[in-house]
Amino acid sequence: MVEVGDRLLGYATDPNVRSKGASGGLVTAVLAAALEKGLVEGVVILKRIDEYEAVPVITDDVQEVLSSGGSMHAVPVNLAKYVVGKKVAMPGKPCDVRGVIEQAKRNSVDLSNTYIVGLNCGGSMHPVLTKEMLIKMYEIDPEDVVGEEIEKGKLIFKTKSGEEKSISIDKLEEEGYGRRESCRYCDVKIPVSADLACGNWGVIGELAGNATFCEVMNEKGKLLLDTAIEAGYVEVRPADEKSISIREKVNSAMLKLGDEWKEKVFDEIPDKDRLKYYIDQFADCIDCGACKEVCPVCSCGPDSKCTMFHSLADNYKMSMYHMVRLLHLSDSCIGCGQCADVCPVDIPVTTIFRRFANPAQKNRNYMPGMDLKRPPFLEVMLK
Amino acid sequence: MAEKEWEPKIVAFCCNWCSYGGADTAGMGRFQQPSSLRIIRVMCSGRIDPMHVFNAFLEGADAVLVTGCHLGDCHYVNGNYKAEVRYQFLEEMVKQLGLEPERLQLNWISASEGEKFANFVRDVTAKIKELGPSPLKPEGVN
Repeated sequence: MVEVGDRLLGYATDPNVRSKGASGGLVTAVLAAALEKGLVEGVVILKRIDEYEAVPVITDDVQEVLSSGGSMHAVPVNLAKYVVGKKVAMPGKPCDVRGVIEQAKRNSVDLSNTYIVGLNCGGSMHPVLTKEMLIKMYEIDPEDVVGEEIEKGKLIFKTKSGEEKSISIDKLEEEGYGRRESCRYCDVKIPVSADLACGNWGVIGELAGNATFCEVMNEKGKLLLDTAIEAGYVEVRPADEKSISIREKVNSAMLKLGDEWKEKVFDEIPDKDRLKYYIDQFADCIDCGACKEVCPVCSCGPDSKCTMFHSLADNYKMSMYHMVRLLHLSDSCIGCGQCADVCPVDIPVTTIFRRFANPAQKNRNYMPGMDLKRPPFLEVMLK
Repeated sequence: MAEKEWEPKIVAFCCNWCSYGGADTAGMGRFQQPSSLRIIRVMCSGRIDPMHVFNAFLEGADAVLVTGCHLGDCHYVNGNYKAEVRYQFLEEMVKQLGLEPERLQLNWISASEGEKFANFVRDVTAKIKELGPSPLKPEGVN
């Protein structure tokens, strides 16, 4: 039996799952056990198409869950909207988890039946840019790639012929490749708002690479892990001091790097040029609405203020759509970067939203998606 | 013909119970005030959605005034507190957008404060005349 707050090292008992998973297959096994034991009716997984593409599916097939192991850094989808109203378990990066929590605060998800296994995340990559990077920087045909890995600050690609090529991530990012921009300045790397927070940071010595560091965050996480242990899917042992401190160290190093990026990305635009900058950026908008569609924290539904009060016939300098979205996201934006990824005309939507959200959230000492106790602002400030 | 001096367009959202009454009192008391004001009466300042304010700006308002009862005096118990919370977000957004902060103002005016209302409108109009037309004004609107 584990307790809330426990920090453990664990791995899947099944050797296949253990070797296929990115680090010990603990997460895969926990999700499979939850499904097998009837804790949930489905599990959200990413069904792999190739190295750069995967579709999120909700499956009730245990085998499918077990075969979904392994990380995909080049598939930056946000799974938050898939759990809405369903009795499911899902794995998730910190931004997935924060998206779900924000949805729950706005009463569009009932979290009592949803289990979230959070995964540490240092960043993900845009599939199109990754292919471009493979051709330009690695000089590999993207179709030949069979696997990728991140190790000691280096991004390693393996090809069909068994070759490995590694370039340091810093160098890639200097060239404009590597992690997505929103990931570089992301400020939550360990998903402490999930039920279980898992990752390979802090796994050292003989276990390195085939065990997962796992922190039990709440009662649901405890239930999830207990179920998996009882079913014989995973084995855990308490993590020692050294593991815990290394995990902390990796996290703070990542956050420090993130702060540096933040300064670089959000250089202050002078007051008088700012409006022109925003108007110019949004002038390219083709009103496709994709940024709203993918937004994990947007919870108004199809009939929302941003779309209903926006008309293509308006000759406004900025559209109502953007104005309303800028305001709605100023307290809830988690900076996941989905909107910029999908924008067909390459407006840096996330960066613009963050420019509004950063001061608003900082002034209120608030981070969206971190806990369920602090509701959205109107409610808090009226008390 | 001499060029007519530019007169700003100011939209004021007034709540039915206090600030609209304040505007009325200002008229009854014959306090002089500029003709730049367009009043939109709402039942409570809590009804004012930030969207209304944006729409006013996008339609060509040079300034938007949000007014309501004094805190604690709301006819609907806490409507003006809600307005205040929304206003704080609006204020930050206007600042970040690069609009001059003077273009959006909040004031609590009771039904008896006719003079305060008139002075408020006069001050804002003078300030906006200095700043000139709003950069968000659509083309073809003066």
